[in-house]
Amino acid sequence: MTNGMISRRRAVFTAGRGFAGMALAGLMDGAPAARRARSVIYIFNHGGVSHVDTFDPKPALSKLSGEPVPASFAQGLKTSRIDFRKAPMRGTPWKFGRHGRGGLEISELFPHLARHADRLAVVRSCHSDAFDHAPAIFMTATGSQFPGRPSIGSWAVYGLGSENRNLPGFVVMSDGAMKSGAGAYGAGFLPAAHQGTVFRTGPNPVLHLANPGGVSAEAQRETLDLIGDLNRRHFGPRDEDTVLEARIRSYELAFRMQAEAPGAVDLSGETEATRKLYGLDDPMTENVGRKCLLARRLVERGVRFVQIFFGTNLGDDWDDAHLDLWGSHIRMTRKSDQPVAALLTDLAARGLLDETLVVWNSEFGRTPLAEGKNGRDHHPYGYSMWMAGAGIQGGRALGATDEFGLRAVEQPKTVHDVNATILRIAGVDHTQLTWRYQGRDQRLTDVHGEGEFTGWLYGA
Amino acid sequence: MRMGGVKLDSRSDVAAVTGRMAAALGYEGRVKMPPSGKLPADELALLREWLEAGAEWPSAAPAGPVARHWAFERVAKPAGGGSIDGFLDAARARRGLAVAGKAERRELIRRVTFDLHGLPPSAAETAEFVADARPDAWERLIDRLLASPRYGEKWGKHWLDLVRYGDTSGFEQDPYLLYAWRYRDYVIQSFNDDKPYDRFVKEQIAGDEIYPDDPAARQGTGYFTVGTNRDMLFKVEDTNRIETLTDFTDTTASVFLGLTMGCARCHDHKFDPLTQRDYYRFQAIFVPAVKTRVFLMYDQARVYDLGENTRTFRLYEAGAQLTALMDPYRKAIRQERLAKLPPEVAVAFDTPDEKKTPEQKALFEAHAKRVEPSDDDIFARFSKPELERLHRIERRLVSAFKSFAPGPFSPAVTDLSREAPRTFVPAKGGGLGEEVTAGIPAVFGGADMPVPPLTAETTHRRKGLAEWMASGENPLTARVWVNRVWQYHFGQGLVGAASDFGTRTAAPVHRQLLDWLAAGFMEGGWRTKALHKTILMSQAYQRGSRAPAGVAAADAENVYLSYFPRRRLEAEEIRDAVLQAAGTLNTKMGGRPVVPALAAEELYGMSQPVGNAWIVTEDAAEHNRRTVYMISRRNFRMPLLEVFDRPEGVLSCSRRESTTTAPQSLSLLNGGFTLGQAAALAERLEAAGDPVAAAWRSVYGREPAPDERTRVEAFLEKQTALLGSRRAALVELGRSLFNTNEFLYVE
Repeated sequence: MTNGMISRRRAVFTAGRGFAGMALAGLMDGAPAARRARSVIYIFNHGGVSHVDTFDPKPALSKLSGEPVPASFAQGLKTSRIDFRKAPMRGTPWKFGRHGRGGLEISELFPHLARHADRLAVVRSCHSDAFDHAPAIFMTATGSQFPGRPSIGSWAVYGLGSENRNLPGFVVMSDGAMKSGAGAYGAGFLPAAHQGTVFRTGPNPVLHLANPGGVSAEAQRETLDLIGDLNRRHFGPRDEDTVLEARIRSYELAFRMQAEAPGAVDLSGETEATRKLYGLDDPMTENVGRKCLLARRLVERGVRFVQIFFGTNLGDDWDDAHLDLWGSHIRMTRKSDQPVAALLTDLAARGLLDETLVVWNSEFGRTPLAEGKNGRDHHPYGYSMWMAGAGIQGGRALGATDEFGLRAVEQPKTVHDVNATILRIAGVDHTQLTWRYQGRDQRLTDVHGEGEFTGWLYGA
Repeated sequence: MRMGGVKLDSRSDVAAVTGRMAAALGYEGRVKMPPSGKLPADELALLREWLEAGAEWPSAAPAGPVARHWAFERVAKPAGGGSIDGFLDAARARRGLAVAGKAERRELIRRVTFDLHGLPPSAAETAEFVADARPDAWERLIDRLLASPRYGEKWGKHWLDLVRYGDTSGFEQDPYLLYAWRYRDYVIQSFNDDKPYDRFVKEQIAGDEIYPDDPAARQGTGYFTVGTNRDMLFKVEDTNRIETLTDFTDTTASVFLGLTMGCARCHDHKFDPLTQRDYYRFQAIFVPAVKTRVFLMYDQARVYDLGENTRTFRLYEAGAQLTALMDPYRKAIRQERLAKLPPEVAVAFDTPDEKKTPEQKALFEAHAKRVEPSDDDIFARFSKPELERLHRIERRLVSAFKSFAPGPFSPAVTDLSREAPRTFVPAKGGGLGEEVTAGIPAVFGGADMPVPPLTAETTHRRKGLAEWMASGENPLTARVWVNRVWQYHFGQGLVGAASDFGTRTAAPVHRQLLDWLAAGFMEGGWRTKALHKTILMSQAYQRGSRAPAGVAAADAENVYLSYFPRRRLEAEEIRDAVLQAAGTLNTKMGGRPVVPALAAEELYGMSQPVGNAWIVTEDAAEHNRRTVYMISRRNFRMPLLEVFDRPEGVLSCSRRESTTTAPQSLSLLNGGFTLGQAAALAERLEAAGDPVAAAWRSVYGREPAPDERTRVEAFLEKQTALLGSRRAALVELGRSLFNTNEFLYVE
């Protein structure tokens, strides 16, 4: 038991904690890049956002719209439904404009976000080979197409802990059913404490937070007091056991959480202006607006990693673009553009943006080729994401896809490169954050991540 | 592996930077290696010489030092015999460590009953054992517990953790593995039968080849089929094939041999003497295997398949009849309803989906529920003759389905023929490299798998592997299993990394003890129950759980077992123990997985509609069966189990975490399961003459102490006043006791 991680792991057993993870402070010692972000808000667009219609303009695609793609470009590509050798190219139905001092090109689907252009660092050269949703979501969120591995939020709270003991370190807000199931925010082989805690709407955001029906707060306190008394009596002759002690404390923490968590999600104290900013007054923007506003409130309270999954297997989804690119992307951007822009505005106004990394990503892009009359299929070979906040230099784009938006050709970036960068900005060296499992020191980035682009984000 | 832009497993990459490496070693530039200090001159000279010669390294495993790795040597029975306590006492004495006294009888029976059954003893069993003055009372207790079918349910679950068992296959659709439970029942039965472990291994790896005429043994190969897979995804057959083979290779090496082969898939193993060639030779053993079914009873299986065949054809016809009967009404009702709505709604409905504008889509979605008639709306308009037709169809369906149940099948694998597809090591930079034969790694002798007889129907590759694994010559199989059993009893194995006996795992402190156990295990016919007994009869197992003075400082990890390590119950044990204490536990064994009712808020986040993914078992008595029989979906774990560290069932799990968190407390305190069981307990308590004593007996298996009684009576009085009834107060008492450490921990 000389392995450093094993002794840390034992420490995890004995650390009496609430939701909080335990910071592995040693990982930050002498790390080359100083920690830039205190928190991460990760907006995961579920279902696949079309890159050539949003952040990656392709004039050549529009010019040759309707033509088959040159054979050399289609070579070796396959996806869910269409055949790359037969489907015609399709130009974007939307106009792109240059925005901000940097002249970053963003399509008209994001009028609100475009006003933040100088804050956005777009990566146009993301690529992977997972073209089905679940494997691609697992890949993006956990670094492996196969389920069972810890998600990026779990790794982050395992490495960094949480600053608020009464709230989870890793909070997830989703629209319900995800194509991956809960594995996208699971702890994999890390201790269960590190997994994403789903915050639901309503006054009791955490599962089992509310007292059982009919049990008043006073009666619940009586019950907790009895548990406490019986536990302390049991503990008397066993007082060397820190685990027993931790469990005694865990009930007090649970009680405090019952008090604090509903407050964190209670938006009644927010001003009318704030509610309007996030679009809570409009049924279209209300859902994402509420989640983004909640994300800000959680970050304010020291939550380390907030992940918003926008889109669902059983309702509105970016994946509706299979049959209806136009409708789906109008609907999804209409629902999310204003709230996400509001989040950046609000974080900046409160001085939180410099210490919060905002990530906007998707499991893959969509084919520059047409599916049916008005659709686009899944496309992992080249797609876009962006980051903002944490002091990074926005108004710029990294890398490029080929002239039709098919393949990442300049500065191609893998999921591991992206995840390595996120962890670094959050303050952890991805090569040092390990957990011994199945005989290996496992990492979020496996043996990869050498294309980390933290340097570029900070102007190098 | 890549560092500083250099692929460390690429000879050409490394050869290109020997100059830079020499500079770093010489502390000549910015980069200085090793960072801890410049190497002594002689070592530096040696390394420089090697670098100048082109930095070559041998591709096969170095035969020298690693071949002497302790775990790769044959198990040698320590000369002069021994005993568990003999080895441990001697080791402890050398370090001057104190030792805890014997645990109390009450603690012992609770400890051993949880260890062997995953359940607490009843109050009566406890009282009987405490009062049993016979000298062999402990041994009798062990024998009784080992003979009970509850034993297989507990130890089968350990095995199911190892073989990444699940009832669905994962990913977006997370489809059911309809017959996986047969393998689960096979595992439980195997433990209850005390099937010799060597036989258990052979059945799972190659039951089809070694026992072709024994369906019960062939069920073992279900082992290969109960993992995660994405067979239901199309267009990725090639990737799926690779993933399936990777799963077979890595899981088999890990579970049965304690070897981490995974690294060698992409390059020669950096630590273990396993080359990439070894990996693909090992993988070639599984390449011919395909998934199939075992007919547990041949005749019934044929009848079942024929019945299914006819039934399906009948269903096509019934579907057509129903459509013909219902469609005219469906259209009529839709038109009537649309007529009452603004005309643009009707236009939206008439526009094909792919042509709908977003506005039309929104209109469609907003009105779909109200416009689209339900089946009952349609039936309400049926004329009498139509109703009669409907009932005729209904009756036919009912008779076709009335005894519908799983068939006599078990999931399995076998080879398609005597010929195997060829296997190649992947070439650097893509494509096929060297062709390899199937065989075991070079470090273990590197034997090829035997050539099958000309009349063979399979390749006999898995047979060769199984026989090598299950032979007394194999240095790993028995050691690994004995160590796992030890770990499940003591919380920590003699070898801490239970699935990694590779060269990075140093010889354990108690190596002689491990070998003594492994040798005795094999000599005694690989009997796991006998192994349990050897361990449980030791003084080490029967010690108290309080650390003697000084031990905490001298042996923080309790390596020398000066005391018995206290442990928290595992997720399944918590749920099962609550059921037992509440008096609701249903001990029915086996069968298809049970889906218990959960609150809507607990069913959050599934990839499929709850109505498809969580089809609740109709008979509520089934919901109170042991947790091992509850469905284990890959995409969704029951929240109570998840929060108490039940593994995901995706990768092999050799040791569970045991965390302490506030969400656990919330779940056990406020979750519907606790409340329901506390209510069941309260009903029994109210009927008892002395509810406090009855509660203590049910939950703790003992009598309440006077101070406890005083405290609880005050509690009940107060809660009765607050909640308005004695019953509600007793529910709160149950809820409290289920959340106490005395209940949740084993001494």
